[in-house]
Amino acid sequence: MKLDSVPLNVSRISPIESETELKNGIECDSKNIIIEPLKPIDDDCAEKPQSALVTFGTTFITIFLAEIGDKTQLSTLLMSAQSHSPWVVFMGSGAALITTSLLGVLLGSWIATRLSPKTVEKAAGVMLLLISLMLFWDVVIGY
Amino acid sequence: MDWHLLGLSFITVFLSELGDKSQLAAIALSGRCQSKRAVFFGTAGALLLTSLLGALAGGTVAELLPTRILKAIAAVGFAILALRLLLPNNETSADSE
Repeated sequence: MKLDSVPLNVSRISPIESETELKNGIECDSKNIIIEPLKPIDDDCAEKPQSALVTFGTTFITIFLAEIGDKTQLSTLLMSAQSHSPWVVFMGSGAALITTSLLGVLLGSWIATRLSPKTVEKAAGVMLLLISLMLFWDVVIGY
Repeated sequence: MDWHLLGLSFITVFLSELGDKSQLAAIALSGRCQSKRAVFFGTAGALLLTSLLGALAGGTVAELLPTRILKAIAAVGFAILALRLLLPNNETSADSE
């Protein structure tokens, strides 16, 4: 009785195991195939979705707060008040702002490819400190 | 479409923003190879929102919002970003060396 049942069990288990192995092998292969082309262009920077979201949020909030009441916004509202066509002014200034921020990001990433990461970090830190001082100066002077 | 006004607003804003704080911030933040796309969308989105407010609200923005307080908050935010870049360098250098 026992001798009969044991081979049956083995024969039942072994196909499942081999199937799972096969599945794993297929999954690994498909993962490799799918992930390889999706890798970011600069593969030395591991981009996590969370850190990207945090970067987006901090950039958005700090720049939004810094630019409110700045001379660009003042010139925009002056032009829109004078011309009585705010949408045209918004389109013009919006295109200009997208262009300048695109230029800034492209310049920054180009510089980052030329220098070592440590130097870039230090330079970026000094630059951000400078911006912070400029903003404090604006606050003190009262623009 | 008033092309003259469109060009005028583009050139005015482009020249006044070239080398301004926000562009310097974009350069500095994109230098750390975290995520250029996030920095670009954050910068462009914030600037678009401010110019939208400026164009639509006209002269009321500066009166409605406490711009000095907001600028002070932004200055503190930039200082925190700068310190986060400058200070943890000691730990990473200690690890690598």
